[in-house]
Amino acid sequence: MKLKVYADRMSQPCRAVIIFCKVNGIDYEEIKVHISKGQHLTPEFAEINPMKQLPAIADGRFKLFESHAILIYLACAFPGVADHWYPADVFKRSKIHSVLDWHHSNLRRGAAPYVFNTTIAPILGRPLNPQVAAEAEIILSSSLSKLESFWLKGNGRFLLGRNQPSIADLSLVCELMQLECFPLTYTTPVLDEKDRTRLLGPHKKVQQWIENTRNATSPHFDEVHRVIMLAKERQQHQRLKAAKNEGGSNMKRPLVSRM
Amino acid sequence: MKLKLYADRMSQPVRAVIIFCKKNGIDFEEIRVDIAKRQHLTTEYAEINPMKQLPAIVDGRFKLFESHAILVYLASSFPGVADHWYPADVFKRSKIHSVLDWHHSNLRRGPTTIVRNTVLAPVLGRPLNPEAAAEGEKFLSASLSKIESIWLKGNGRFLLGGNQPSIADLSLVCDIMQLELLGETERNRFLGPYKEVQQWIENTRNATNPHFDEVHKILMKAREKLQNLRLKGANNEGGESDMKRTLHSRI
Repeated sequence: MKLKVYADRMSQPCRAVIIFCKVNGIDYEEIKVHISKGQHLTPEFAEINPMKQLPAIADGRFKLFESHAILIYLACAFPGVADHWYPADVFKRSKIHSVLDWHHSNLRRGAAPYVFNTTIAPILGRPLNPQVAAEAEIILSSSLSKLESFWLKGNGRFLLGRNQPSIADLSLVCELMQLECFPLTYTTPVLDEKDRTRLLGPHKKVQQWIENTRNATSPHFDEVHRVIMLAKERQQHQRLKAAKNEGGSNMKRPLVSRM
Repeated sequence: MKLKLYADRMSQPVRAVIIFCKKNGIDFEEIRVDIAKRQHLTTEYAEINPMKQLPAIVDGRFKLFESHAILVYLASSFPGVADHWYPADVFKRSKIHSVLDWHHSNLRRGPTTIVRNTVLAPVLGRPLNPEAAAEGEKFLSASLSKIESIWLKGNGRFLLGGNQPSIADLSLVCDIMQLELLGETERNRFLGPYKEVQQWIENTRNATNPHFDEVHKILMKAREKLQNLRLKGANNEGGESDMKRTLHSRI
């Protein structure tokens, strides 16, 4: 029976798992679970993952959730996955665990709530929370600095000074790609590229590393990210429309002042 | 060269690693890094862990931080650690990874947040933050309920239906133990509804004693101190407001 991957490509850990499967020639069936339609909250999906989160896999009778755990499982259980993705050497492997654990309480806790509270929330019918966004931005900025100064220290092209990517590179880069669906507020429609630049701009190594990871997993990387690129375009479009309407509301002001 | 463990036993992931070493007869040197004295923020310590957090280990020339990664490393590289702590079987091992990952974004955000923003805040010279504490309570309640209904489902004595503890049991239980700092009433308010969770804490404690109790001794002492501080505070407050009331009634 083919591996089943329950996924919504709008979710960054889902993309990491899908890219990993594609790059490593793991045959799988992608089962779409639309977060925006609340499909991850159904009792059917709870049978797959009782935590009602994505991604999740079912490999025969074996079910698993949490993307890091899934990546490790796939690297171990499928033959033909190159060692650099999750090295057998205990020292190298431990360092990768360390990055992945760090990801949870740093980069992930910055990027995810930041993007949610500046961009995604309204799409899911939830309010933007500027205070949460501000707190998340602090964590995000400090995580980017640590990536630049520590995890990308040295001359390697990937994390931990390595010259080939590991599951940690893939996982963290997919997280950062979420910043592509910028920007912030609906009131300042032209901020997007600026904000991305503001956050990533000072971190040249991080930018290069994103590019290295993208190249190492091409063409799958771009293909799997297409969905967020499209979302970004749609959003920019909506924003431009909103800006025009707002421009329209400027019209109202002179009218009022004339009265 | 002996394994070096940089630790402050007030920290729950530190306790998990120490208990693991003691239980498995791993010879180590405990190097105290006092968080209250901000010793983890020094440049010397940044040489060990540039993230300036605890715990961290140095094994020969190999340095490592993040407690889950450390537990996995110790279980993998020290002979004599029983398989149940971190099974070689890929399916069993993956389930343990899944619990540990879940821990990060759920339970981990409960007890620490509550404790830091309530009882510990005045001690660390920080303002009380009821909003953050409330957020922590949300994570804690949701997490305890998931542990009870999902991770402890079935008849096993430990997580994932196991009959022997894994590094996940140790890590999660040490985290929940942090609630002791709140005093018994508050702790029971949180844990009271979850009978299976309570039994599992006891099972993990029994499976790792006498080390579990020994390593948690510092926490129990801190609980007493905090309780005394609260009592003193309450007395002062009571005294003052009683005074005020008397004054008011006279006016």
